[in-house]
Amino acid sequence: MAEERRFRSASGAPIALRRRQHSASCRELAVRGPRLQLRSLSAATSAVWLAAYGLFALSENSMVLSAAIFISLIGLIIYLHFVKIDQESLLVIGSLGIQVTSSYASGKESTTFIEMGQVKDVVINEAIHMQKVIYYLCILLRDPEDPQGVSEVVPLFQSSKPRLDCLIEVYKSCQEILEQRKTAPQSS
Amino acid sequence: ENSPAPLPERAIYGFALFLGSWFGFILYLIWAYIPESWLFSLGLTYWPQKYWAVALPVYLLVAVGIGYVLLFGINMMSTAPLNSTHTVTDNYAKKQQQKKFQEEAIPALRDIPISEVNRMFFLPEK
Repeated sequence: MAEERRFRSASGAPIALRRRQHSASCRELAVRGPRLQLRSLSAATSAVWLAAYGLFALSENSMVLSAAIFISLIGLIIYLHFVKIDQESLLVIGSLGIQVTSSYASGKESTTFIEMGQVKDVVINEAIHMQKVIYYLCILLRDPEDPQGVSEVVPLFQSSKPRLDCLIEVYKSCQEILEQRKTAPQSS
Repeated sequence: ENSPAPLPERAIYGFALFLGSWFGFILYLIWAYIPESWLFSLGLTYWPQKYWAVALPVYLLVAVGIGYVLLFGINMMSTAPLNSTHTVTDNYAKKQQQKKFQEEAIPALRDIPISEVNRMFFLPEK
């Protein structure tokens, strides 16, 4: 069963949260950001080409125009493949682990898997980021030496940056799955 | 011991500094404005170049302006990144002692772990 709800990101952009329950101990939460707008793409391209035409009018060198076309093409490809993240998803499997996937606009997907033995908790933390204080969801990893300590913090949903209402939904879903491992019998 | 109240010694220090700063300022004005030939005729020959009378204040002002930008940059550099454990705990919290719970007493101040805080805020118990 899947349900989709609309929220806002920290900067005000509209995002959508989709929750799917695959089984009693497996849930997938995906945050989808806004897709590349045609108007911002045309605005950027026109700005680059107008600047190149202005340089061409000053310098009478036609290489400027071809360089501008080349730069805008390469820049667009690099942006779509390395920068623009369309969807970030979190797959929580109760006894196995947590998988974090980022899908880029060019179709590339980058995945990280953290096994459940290393996961201490999934919490909403607040920190200072670029002259603002933001809430963000993060996975706390266990410290092998210190049972109460935290060895590493893995922030999630870094590019879509949902606001607190969306984070609370994701947090509650994750906690329902994580609570099951306390009641389930410990193996080894 | 250390009170900000006025004292006779403080009044004397203040007046000495006041006279000293006026003297320094008049000396700076003499050095900057009076032509070299007049100073030479008085016998004062071994003074720094007049170039520095303009250069040093400019250096100071530019340093003050850069200081604003530098302070901003240092602040941004020392802010812990989002993936650092310093946003969650620190040395004092790790080494804190657990005080025993006493009846009818206010519980001792301690650092509450972030998992507990989250559960309290975001998972309302019915």
